[in-house]
This record gives sequence, structure tokens and C-alpha cells, in this order.
Amino acid sequence: MNPPETKSEEGTRVEASRSEAPQAPAPPRAATTAPATGRRVALEGLHAYYGDQHAVKGVDLIFEPNKVTAIIGPSGCGKSTLVRCINRMHEEITGARADGHISLDDLDVYGDGVDVISVRRVIGMVFQKPNPFPTMSIFDNVAAGLKLTGARGGDLRRKVEDSLRGAGLWEEVKDRLDSPGLGLSGGQQQRLCIARAIAVEPEVILMDEPCSALDPVATLKVEELIAELKTRYTIVIVTHNMQQAARVADSTAFMLDGELVEFGPTQQIFTNPKDDRTEQYVTGKFG
Amino acid sequence: MAGTRQQFREQLAHLEAQALEGLDMVVATLDRALESLQQRDIELALIVVNDDDRIDGRYLEVHQGILSLLALQAPVATDLRVVAALLHVIKHVERMGDQCVNIAKLIPLDGHEAPVDEELMRQIERMGLCARSQVVQSKHAFAERDAALAEDLVRQDDEIDRLNRDIFRRAIDIGDEPDVREWAMHMTLVARCLERIGDNAVDVGEQTAFVVTGLFREFADASHVGARP
Repeated sequence: MNPPETKSEEGTRVEASRSEAPQAPAPPRAATTAPATGRRVALEGLHAYYGDQHAVKGVDLIFEPNKVTAIIGPSGCGKSTLVRCINRMHEEITGARADGHISLDDLDVYGDGVDVISVRRVIGMVFQKPNPFPTMSIFDNVAAGLKLTGARGGDLRRKVEDSLRGAGLWEEVKDRLDSPGLGLSGGQQQRLCIARAIAVEPEVILMDEPCSALDPVATLKVEELIAELKTRYTIVIVTHNMQQAARVADSTAFMLDGELVEFGPTQQIFTNPKDDRTEQYVTGKFG
Repeated sequence: MAGTRQQFREQLAHLEAQALEGLDMVVATLDRALESLQQRDIELALIVVNDDDRIDGRYLEVHQGILSLLALQAPVATDLRVVAALLHVIKHVERMGDQCVNIAKLIPLDGHEAPVDEELMRQIERMGLCARSQVVQSKHAFAERDAALAEDLVRQDDEIDRLNRDIFRRAIDIGDEPDVREWAMHMTLVARCLERIGDNAVDVGEQTAFVVTGLFREFADASHVGARP
């Protein structure tokens, strides 16, 4: 898999698509009456760079649908960069580029003509710090993305409610939907961001240390939410908290210096890792 | 980055040392129980019975330490396997201590003038040495993380099982004298206790293999058809 590379419009070098015709991600299946399921994300030979710095070094990894996959590793190991490559956020950074192949089921995410905005709608992301739109109400925070899809009126209100319920927040905010999103607690704000992410009915949710700014109770609520969300989505979570990875993830990947050291069932990683470097890291001997 | 989680490492090492010292305590107790049996020393047998509180205390100490370590330090990977294995090891220590007590409690029943059959006593003595050797070996195997040495315990256990059967047959054929028959019956119970100590030592060996390989398996399946006691 060494197809010729091209420059994207943003100046990010990416692998050329295997197909000639422009593509866009398939419309979200949640729009149908059938229950939504996650989609398979496959990384093949993924490399990511910041200028000359080689941050991700030839990672092959598959994120299975309706599973939670945790990515662990010390600071600077490339785990956040890897996740940001999946929904093409990495290329937004000046001088950053990625090589290799990422597919969402059969779709080449970096294919020529693939609409980046559509990719990010199908592959939602939740960040380390809750980042609700500061000037918007709780309702509008969730509705913002939906309005771009054309939802209006009763349909919009229903989808906002569904999303807030899906994020486990509805009962706490249903009587103050017009209040500012920033007025919520940190944990509630993070769940609001999750509601915003799932409102546009993605198929994959990327979470980059979603609980690192939250207290233990809020963290447990988000973890319970992750367990519910995986019935509908493919979930990838980057975390520094190894106990969190052990609690929420079906599979765990350990990265070190940009390389994927070990990937396997979470139970194996935390009870009997195969690679000595994984053993050293999870037992706290470095990192 | 060496030196991280230093306190945790020290606590885990201390717990392991405490649990393995428990095996030393079993050896010392077994020595006394066998000596009291050979010398028909009822006073020494009573000391063995009373001294079991020390082994029980060690069990409680290690058990509590393991609970604290699990709650406070959340060990994983090899550390987790060691902690889980130590929980088993200390339980086996406590059981082996109980078997020594069971032996000691039989000694006063026959008194200072027990009608000893020398051949049967020699077999008991050999069995006692085998059991002692197994306990010592199980400790070394665990401390050295030596899975081969741990699995070798099965070989020794076969010898103990053979002696146990020999003692049983000897007791049946020992004659019609009621006092001798009663003493011989007590010796079959002693043999059973020694056989159980051997089994517990093999169980400690299985925990060693678990720590080393990450997989638990019984060295020998005692429940399969044709397995001998």
C-alpha cells in the first residue's frame, strides 16, 4: 500500500484515494428507523508528522464497531495525534501531515474529493476540556450542528431531546434549556458536548481524554454513558487514566514513541501483557 | 524512569516475604508435629496445637495487606498476578498449619506408650520428609519464579501418594491386636494429613506457574477418572 501522495487543499500531504471519483461518507444510518450501529475504522501504515517530527510511526489498527477501544501511553507517544488523524483534525495544524490509509468501512477517509466536514459529522469528537459554545444556550449548543443538517421546528426539538437523553443529561436540564451552556457544571458541560456530538448522528465517536478535567462522580457518569453509547457507536477513547481504560474499554492499544506496541483485549493488557514495555508501563515502572 | 511507585513495590515485596515466611512457619510446625509423633511427646504436640495461632495470625495479616494493596494501589499485570497468587499461597499456608494441628491432636490419643509398628512409623517418617521437602521447594519455586521447579512438585507428590497407599495397606494388614489397630488407624489419619500438605504445596506451585505464565492450570487433574487419592 504505497500509492502516490498528493497535496490536499489545506497543504496537508495525504495518501491519494484509490478511486478516481469524489466520495463522501455514507449518510448516517441513524437517520433511518433501523437502530444505528458503529462502523469499522481501519488504520493501515499510518504515519503522522508535525513538520520534521515523526509523531505516529506506521500504525496498523482496527477499531471494531460497537466496541470501546482505549489508547494508552505516556505523554507525547502520539495517541492524540493518531485519533486526530481519524477525523482529519490533524491536518488543520500548520505543517502537519499524515501518510497511510484510514478507512471507515469501505470509505477511504483521505480519498480525493472526500468532504472533510462530512467526515467529521460521521466521526464525532469529544475533547479533553468541555467546550460548549460560550454564547449559546443548552438547547442551541445541541441544535447548532443539527441546524446545518436542515432540522427545524418539532423535528429539531425532538432530536435535541433525544441527544440530551442519549448523553444522560435530559433530566438535569429539561427545565432550563434556555440557560447558557457555560452555566452547567464541568461534568454536565462534557455530557452536553457529547450530546452535541451525537446529535448529528455520527457512527464513530473519538474521545480525547474526555474525563481528565472532571471530578470522580462526573467521570463515572461519563464512563456509564460510554458503556451505553457503544451499543450505537464505535468508540475510541484516549486516556491517561489506566483504570478508566480498564473499566470502559473492550480493547486497549498501548503506544510508545509513536509506535503501536501492543493491542489486545483490555483484560489481557492489564493482567498478562505480551510485550515487556506494556508491562513496564501499566505497572507504573515508567511514564 | 526507575523508582516510580517505590512505596507500592516495597509493600508488595513485604507482603510476598510475609506470605513466604508463612511457608517457613509451616515447615517449623511440621518438624515439631513429626518429632512429637516419633517421640510420642504429648507436651510438644500441645505446643504445635497452640502455636497454630501464629500461622492464623500471619494469614490474617497478609490477607488484610492484600486487601489494602488492591484498594489503594490497583496493581495490574504481573503485579496483579502476584497479589492474586499470594492470596492463594497464604490460604494454603493456613490450611497446612491446620493439617499439622490435626496430626498433633492425634498424638495424645495413643499416649506415651503407643504400640508402635516400626515399619509403619518408618513410612510415616519418609512421608513427613517428603511433605517437608515439598513445602520448602514450593517456597523456593515461588520466590525464584521458577515454573519448572514448581512443576517438579508433582513428581514428589506422586511419591507421597504412593506412601499414603502403602501406609493404608500396612494398617489393614497390621494384625488383630485392638490397641495396635487403633494406633495404625491414627497413623492413616496422619498420612492423610501429610498427603494434604503435599497437595497444598503443589497448589502453591500452580500459583507460581500462574505468576510466571499468566495462565492458571492444574499440574495434575485429581478429579479425572482413574486418578488416585
